[in-house]
Amino acid sequence: MTEVKLDRIGKSYGSVEAVQQFDLTIREGEFLVLLGPSGCGKSTTLRMIAGLESITKGDLMIGGTRMNDVDPKDRGVAMVFQNYALYPHKTVFDNMAMALKLQKVPAAEIQDRVGRTAELLGLTDYLHRKPAALSGGQRQRVAIGRAIVRTPDVFLFDEPLSNLDAKLRVKMRMELQELHDRLGATSVYVTHDQVEAMTLADRIVIMNGGVVAQVGTPREVYDRPADEFVAGFIGSPAMNFLDLMRDDTGRWITECGSLVLPSLPVDAGARRQVRLGVRPEHIAVTAGGQPQGDLDYQAEVLLDELLGADALLSLGVGKARLLARVGGTDHPVQGDRVAIALTAAQLHVFDADTGVALRD
Amino acid sequence: MIDNSPEFRIKKAIGTTVMLLLVTFAALPTLWALLLAFRAPDAVFEPIWESPLKLTFDNFFNITRSDFPKALMNSFITAGLSTVFAMLVGVPAGFALAKSRVSGKFIASWILLLLRMAPPVGFVIPLFLLYVNAGLIDTYAGLVFAYMTLTLPLVTWSMWNSFSQVPDELIEAAIMDDASLTKAFLLIALPAARPGAVAAAILAFLVAWNDFFYSLIITRSDTTTAPVAVMNFISFDSVDWASIAVASIALTLPILPLMAIANRYIVQSLSGAVKG
Repeated sequence: MTEVKLDRIGKSYGSVEAVQQFDLTIREGEFLVLLGPSGCGKSTTLRMIAGLESITKGDLMIGGTRMNDVDPKDRGVAMVFQNYALYPHKTVFDNMAMALKLQKVPAAEIQDRVGRTAELLGLTDYLHRKPAALSGGQRQRVAIGRAIVRTPDVFLFDEPLSNLDAKLRVKMRMELQELHDRLGATSVYVTHDQVEAMTLADRIVIMNGGVVAQVGTPREVYDRPADEFVAGFIGSPAMNFLDLMRDDTGRWITECGSLVLPSLPVDAGARRQVRLGVRPEHIAVTAGGQPQGDLDYQAEVLLDELLGADALLSLGVGKARLLARVGGTDHPVQGDRVAIALTAAQLHVFDADTGVALRD
Repeated sequence: MIDNSPEFRIKKAIGTTVMLLLVTFAALPTLWALLLAFRAPDAVFEPIWESPLKLTFDNFFNITRSDFPKALMNSFITAGLSTVFAMLVGVPAGFALAKSRVSGKFIASWILLLLRMAPPVGFVIPLFLLYVNAGLIDTYAGLVFAYMTLTLPLVTWSMWNSFSQVPDELIEAAIMDDASLTKAFLLIALPAARPGAVAAAILAFLVAWNDFFYSLIITRSDTTTAPVAVMNFISFDSVDWASIAVASIALTLPILPLMAIANRYIVQSLSGAVKG
């Protein structure tokens, strides 16, 4: 019933196009995450769905009805804001009851609905406090409660966790996940945090410069990034990129010849130049080992950083630099000679000019 | 850190002395007026140490028989009404200026600032000519309208600033919560900007209350305000200093509680009342 359909939606401010040709159907009950760097148009897209921003091009359909010119309140959507946007002079109860009061819902029902929502979110003891007397996590729960209490068809979240400290963010992320499992409402969630996107999303929309770069499940965007931007944006630390050139014998080598690939895992067509992508976690490092296979190389550890469970090694293969992620115990350290092995199936190849991923 | 060096103590002593001197200098006229108000008419010009006990309440009774109480009431009415009207128009205007996305705000801000900066004499002559023709001389309506040239820009300007500090998300949240723009303004934005609104109202009232010039030009006798009525105690052959002292106390007393409230709210509104 409450499917959200964005039909080639666009937003322009004068001659600046903030969002271009956004084309997507958000399925009923789906948790969709809009992910991208700041200024990529993800918040603008969300605000267009909410009705806080006008739509300059295309059609927005919620539950089969065109909503372009419908007031925010009549769209059946509720929004959770980044800075909570709680009414500072109202108590937690009044914050959550505001929408119901404006809808002229009977007082007894308001009491009941706010009560149940507060219980769901563990806010029962705080109903008579003002927002200023709450912690960051509690405020965010009130903001979520204010959205839930209206029983909207679609939930919109605008970076709801980015004001919380790291520890609380993980906790609230899990709470949000449980909440969505319980309520099952269609949700659109904007974030620039890839961990939030990967963990919460049924599907991720990655945006760049007002354009959708890729739509896919977390698995898909990680395993099969559509282009260089997505490949570099998803994954931490970011993917290594190397420029490769084809020599006369058909081998692919880096500019200064440090790294040689006998062939590419995909068909590069007539291209003489491509960009190779290798995720840090896909580089197998053996201390003191000797290169054996085609994709094995001798490397030197230039820098090692221990993160705890893992360690990051900055490797020098001739003049090429690669970042590798290895286990945090007994890992090679600065100055060690190591052998590294790449796996053909885990290599990504991109067009050197357009950045589009090459696939067979 | 506690600094007990002699050098610091000397500096501190000098600082305290300078401060006390300045406070005395500022407080002296007020103290003098207070003293004068209680002096018998024949003792007004005698040094206090020659006749310290010539104190009386007569001055207060005398003044109640003059035109002054009526002028004080006029001051209340005109300052009060011009504040109320300025708030009714200026608060929504400030909200619109702070939150709407129309262009031309620069021009609006420029005109507002001009109105606030321009000397009253620039308005009073055109107003006077207008009033003579419209029959508004010596009327409440005329004076209230004239005061609004002072109070309205002040309220609009300061409410613009206050509403700018209210996060947009707060209003957007209200709109998502089924509120119309009017309700979002009345139920959410206005309470959030309350310290600024209180401060603006008090400042507007004080501007009108303290006005001398407009009242002098526009009023004759019926609607003369208290600051102008004080002049009535200066007659051709004598100056009734005691009455002037009483009048100035009567003019100051009502604004003391306002100042106390304003002090709190101005500090609040300057430090940004709406924090996460």
